[in-house]
Parts: sequence; structure tokens; C-alpha cells
Amino acid sequence: MSSDNDYDYSDDDGEYYYDDDEDMMSTQEDEDSASSDDGMDMDEFGDDFKVPQRSARKTYEIEYDSLPQSAVEKLMSNDIEHISGIFGVEASLASLLLRYMRWNKERLIEKYMDNASAVTVAAGISPPSRASPSALGPDRSQGSSSSARTSGLRRTARQTSAPLKAKPQPSICPICFDDTQALFSALACDHTFCSGCWTAYITSKIREEGEHAIRCMAEGCALVAPDPFVRSALADDPETWERFNELLVRHFVASNPNLKYCPYPSCTYTVSCPTAASKSALTTVVPIVTCGADANPPHRFCFGCPIESDHRPVICPVARMWLRKCRDDSETANWIKSNTKECSRCQSTIEKNGGCNHMTCKKCKHEFCWVCMGPWSEHGTAWYSCNRYDEKAGVDARDAQSKSRASLERYLHYYNRWANHEQSAKLSVELYAKTEKKMEEMQVTSNLTWIEVQFMKKAVDEVFKCRMTLKWTYAMAYYLEKGNQKELFEDNQRDLERAVEDLSELLESQIEPEIIPTLRQKVTDKTQVYVSKRNEIMLEDTAKGFLEGRWRWNVPVEGFD
Amino acid sequence: MDARLRRVNKEIADCKNDKTSNIRIDLIDSSPFHLKGSFPGPKDTPYDGGVFEVDIVIPESYPFQPVKMKFITKVYHPNISSASGAICLDILKDAWSPVLTLKSTLISLQSLLCSPEPNDPQDAEVAKHYMTSKNSFEETARYWTQTYAKGQESKGKVDIKEPGRDEVAIAGLEKTHVAQFEGLGFERSKVIDVLRRLNYRGSNVANIPDERIIDELLK
Repeated sequence: MSSDNDYDYSDDDGEYYYDDDEDMMSTQEDEDSASSDDGMDMDEFGDDFKVPQRSARKTYEIEYDSLPQSAVEKLMSNDIEHISGIFGVEASLASLLLRYMRWNKERLIEKYMDNASAVTVAAGISPPSRASPSALGPDRSQGSSSSARTSGLRRTARQTSAPLKAKPQPSICPICFDDTQALFSALACDHTFCSGCWTAYITSKIREEGEHAIRCMAEGCALVAPDPFVRSALADDPETWERFNELLVRHFVASNPNLKYCPYPSCTYTVSCPTAASKSALTTVVPIVTCGADANPPHRFCFGCPIESDHRPVICPVARMWLRKCRDDSETANWIKSNTKECSRCQSTIEKNGGCNHMTCKKCKHEFCWVCMGPWSEHGTAWYSCNRYDEKAGVDARDAQSKSRASLERYLHYYNRWANHEQSAKLSVELYAKTEKKMEEMQVTSNLTWIEVQFMKKAVDEVFKCRMTLKWTYAMAYYLEKGNQKELFEDNQRDLERAVEDLSELLESQIEPEIIPTLRQKVTDKTQVYVSKRNEIMLEDTAKGFLEGRWRWNVPVEGFD
Repeated sequence: MDARLRRVNKEIADCKNDKTSNIRIDLIDSSPFHLKGSFPGPKDTPYDGGVFEVDIVIPESYPFQPVKMKFITKVYHPNISSASGAICLDILKDAWSPVLTLKSTLISLQSLLCSPEPNDPQDAEVAKHYMTSKNSFEETARYWTQTYAKGQESKGKVDIKEPGRDEVAIAGLEKTHVAQFEGLGFERSKVIDVLRRLNYRGSNVANIPDERIIDELLK
């Protein structure tokens, strides 16, 4: 399974929300009003539709904040102001210094205090040969910092106004060779080019390469254009300027381990989750977060790894290990599983590529039935329709299957259940789409109210959620070391699985207006009382186990000793 | 006038007027954005005496994005793909500057022929050959120059199988080595393929046991 499939889910989710309700907003309103003026039952209903409050945080939930782009920009400008104040340099230069040091203020301050001119050269602020002598030397006194300020001001003054100000040049622009160009500009290195070329160059860097560190156009020159210079070059192109700022925000977020950009396409929210910022933290928590964007389904992703779905209760390193294993093994394993068996006497692997079920091993001449693996001699006259699956001989023969296949079998046991839950979750959502249509029709033809036909939605949501939990518990169980802890884990898993299967079955019942009240009662009871409780227990206990260091693995796991 | 067109026209004209550098830029068809460059192989290198042709494609955002170049002439060089002519050179990628021109880029290619960078290879097999035995590498490079880059007379005929063309020399292998395994009953082309892949050259010959080669040949 790859994350692609996980991604499909969110797509399906989306369809299921959008296609079936004519309008999500009205749904929400209806519910709210219904739950407020209806009885107790309805109140419970309404509550369950709401996102759990962060104040009552469960062990398996993590503390985090969602920040819109403006809030991140504010964080950036705070850092810039801070550095600009300490060093006494222009904000645009402080920004370049911070970007160069990947927004690590402490390291920047340390390095800058140690050798300011080296840092300004490396950050692409001043050309190497031009480093002013006063800025050299380790002792950075007031004098040198003021010189940095004046030079900064001088530069910025020219950069902010010069690019589009007429600045007659004796020669023509060495890039476009256009002798009609009258506007020239240069960075602090004095490599002069016409404004048209600067604009085209900066636009191309931002638009085509997604680059925010825009170097001087001269060959081998490492100077970086400060923001005011970029801004004036893009004066007529606010869209590209906007994109430039977005690139800066992305760079800031990528540089800060406490932050992560929402991975959903064209979403601009950032999530801050300091609890999960370190690698070691990821062995005890599963940082599933939801960004603040008002999207349906909400943008839920893992803060700790690139898996774009909720992989609770399994921690990131184990989840990744599992996905990698599935990618590597599943194709081959599936082929072996479906196309070969082992001779029950000599264990040679046999591929059946056609013909009847009467097999004769090429190697040991053992005759057996392909279907039940029992000896052919016991098949009597029913040769071509094997119905002896549970016969002792067949069971024995299968038990004797080679040990070399045992590990594959073990893997497939977990893999099949993993894949099955994924598949079933998809199917239950599809089924619900059909059911819902029917129920809405019923709402029109019978005297049921809208809210009375909505109980299925919540149940399907719950089933989907629980199947996702179950899916990942199989990945976890595959790597758990045998022992009491694993048994307890599997007990929880079994209880949840049973509850989910029961509920799934109910969801598949035929919908008739007469049975709706009883069905509704049953489904609601199962969903709320049983299934969601079981899921809670599963998630909570596993999360606690991580915090207590209770889980032991049968393979080395990243971050565990 | 379109800035890109003006610049390219000027570059082509400048190159025509410059008789000293021996670098030519010609149109392939009517478009000024798909060109053919050529330059002589540098003196005192295995490429001396050859004329090397380069396919030039000028992208939409030229000169702000680098020009696309690849060799038309087959070249035996660690930083040039022996199969496709693709070039590994920093100025064609991140180190590009809008100040660079077609001519200066072609000059850079010429100097790339003088100073191979085997640690950053485009063609790993050629680079291995270069690292194992420079003499043998140069011999092969010279043979390729003779075969593919003889300039005017062989122009446009590179794909035609010349009678004198020697597959063994083109692969940079020793005749005796190929003959040794051919003698065991393996097909010549297969032997060449395996020996080339295993870099059966120079001091490496002592490191690769015959069994290894036979194993590969039997695969």
C-alpha cells in the first residue's frame, strides 16, 4: 500500500460529502437547529458531530496549533526585527542573513559576532572583495556595526529606488543588447543590467524554479537580491511578488522543525507542533494534526512523517517500515501466493499454469489435489470437484508446508487484513452513498424527518474511522514482539474488529420505511455505545503503551535501542 | 522586437564575425531557436583532429534559463553520455548566468573535453574506464574521434557502418581479451557487452576472475 491509496481515501471522502448532500452548509444548520429543539437523543447526536474539544485531550491526541499564512509571516517578521535590532542592519538584510542561516537565530548571532563580514559575504549581501575593512576582525564594536548600517542603507537606498530610476549607462545591457533600454540597476556588486532583464530574470527564477534566493545575473557572482530590489522589479506583477512571499514562508516553515506546511494541494496553512518536533518524540506519539483550513473533509495529516493520512495508533517509524515492506514485498508475495503451492511431501514450489487439479510432483512423484493439498488417492470419484477441504489428510498436508513459507504466510496474514480493512472502508462509503439516496427518497415519500434518516451517516463515518485504526493495528501487530503485551493488544484489536464487523453488517441491511425506527435504534446503539468506545480503548491503550515504553518490537525500530 | 530573438540573432552574428575562435553556429531549419554548434577538438587531447557538433535548443525564457545542449557527434568522455550525447556541466544547470552566451558555452564544452571530471560522471562506464586506465581510455577516445568526428568528409555518415569500424576498439577493449572469450563459443557482441560492463581493462583485468565473466556471459 502506498500513500497514494491513502490519498484516494480523502478523495472518496470528499465525493461522499459533496455528492450526496446538495449543500454542506445547510446540513450543518439543520443539524444544529434539530439538536437544540429536539430531545435528549438528538442532543447526543449533535454532540457527536462536533470535533472533540482540545481541552479534553486524549492520550492519542496531540497538542498543536494551526497558523494561517499571515501568522507565519508575523513570526518571520518578529525574527527579522529581532536580528535587525541586534545587528543594527536593514530589515531586508537581516532577512537575507536569516534565510542564509535557515532561520537559526542563535547560530546566526554566534557566527555574526564571530566574523560579520564572512557571514555577510556568504549570505550574498556584500561582494567578497568589497568587504569594508572596518567590518573585518572579530571584535565587533559599535563602530563596525554602524558601518554595516550605513552601507546597508546606502545599498538599499539605491536598490529600492534605482531599479526603475533612469540611470544613464555608457554601454548597452550585456544581456538583451537592446540599445533603447534606458533604465539600469545593479546589486551592491555593481554588475549593471537593464531593468527589463532584471524583471524577466527574477520572474523566471520565481515562476519556473521556485527560487527565493535570487542571485546576481553576472557569471559567478554570489550576491542575492534583497526583497526591496525584488519588489521594485516586480512592481507590475503583484502575482509573482505574492508567489515570492509564499516561497519565503515555505522556506521559513521548512527550516523550523516545530512547523509543517499543510501537504494538501494549494492549502496555505501551517501547523505548529513543538511536541513532535524531535525524532525521539516520534517513538512515543503519533502526531496526527488537522490544519485550520475550512475544508471538507478536513486536511488531516501526520506531522511526523510524509504519510498523508491518519496512521494512528502506529508510530511513524513503524508505519513507514510497514509501507516500505508492502511496497517491496506485496507484488512478489501476491504472485507466489496466488500462483504457487508447495508439494506436501517434498516441499518443492510448484506453479500451476493450467490443467486439472490432479497434480503429480515432478520431483517426488507425489500425487495430490491442488485445491485441498490432500493425497489424490483419497479423492475417490469426486475428482474434479474437491470438497475435502477439512479432511485430516489435507490439513496435515497443509500443516507440513515448508517453513520457508512461514514468514511469507505471516506477512500475508497481516497484509491481507490490512488491505482488507482499507478495501472494506472504501466499500462501506460507496454503499452508504447508495443508501443515502434511498433514504432521501424515503424522506420525500414517507413521513420520516430529515434527521431521522441521517443516523447512517454517522455510523458510516465511524466504521470508516475504525477500519483505518484496524488497518494500522495490523501493521503494528506484525512488528510487535510475541508476549503478553502483544496478546493484550490483539485482544483489543479483536474486540474492535468484532464490533466494527457487526456494525458493518447492520449497515448493509435492506432499508425499508417500516424497519427504519428499529434499525436506527440498533445502529445508533452500536455506533455510540460499542464501536466508538472500542476504538477509543484501542487508540488510548496503544498511545499509553508508547508513553510507558510498553511495546517491544521483533525488529530494530528507528529511535528504539 | 522579441528580446530573445534579438539576443539570439546578435549572438549568431557575433559568432560569424569572430574568425579566431573556430566556433560555428548554424541554423538547422528556419527557426533561430534550434541551432547546431560545432568546434574543433582541443589540441593535445584525444579529441584533436575531430570536429564536434552540438545540438542547441533555446528555451522560451532564454537567456534567463540555460540553453539546452547535447552532442550530436558521438564522444567518448566521462561527462558526456556515450549513448545520447547528454552533457554534465554545471553552467548548463544551476551555474548558468544570463551573461553567458552560446559561444561562451560552446567554449566551455571545448574545455570540458580538455579536462574531464570523472568524479561527477554522466557516463559511469566511461568514467570507470578513465579511472582504471587513462592510457587505454585515451586510445578509445582517440578511436572514437577518428570514427565519428572526422569532420567534413564523415559528416552525416556517423550511423553508417563503415567496413573498417572495429567494435572492440569502440568499446575500449583489447582484441586478445575479446578473442579469448569468443574462443569459448560466446557471441562476439555479448562478450563485448559483458567485458565493457565489467570494465575489463588495464589493471582491472587481474581483479576479475574468468569465472565471473563466464557467469555473466551465461546469464
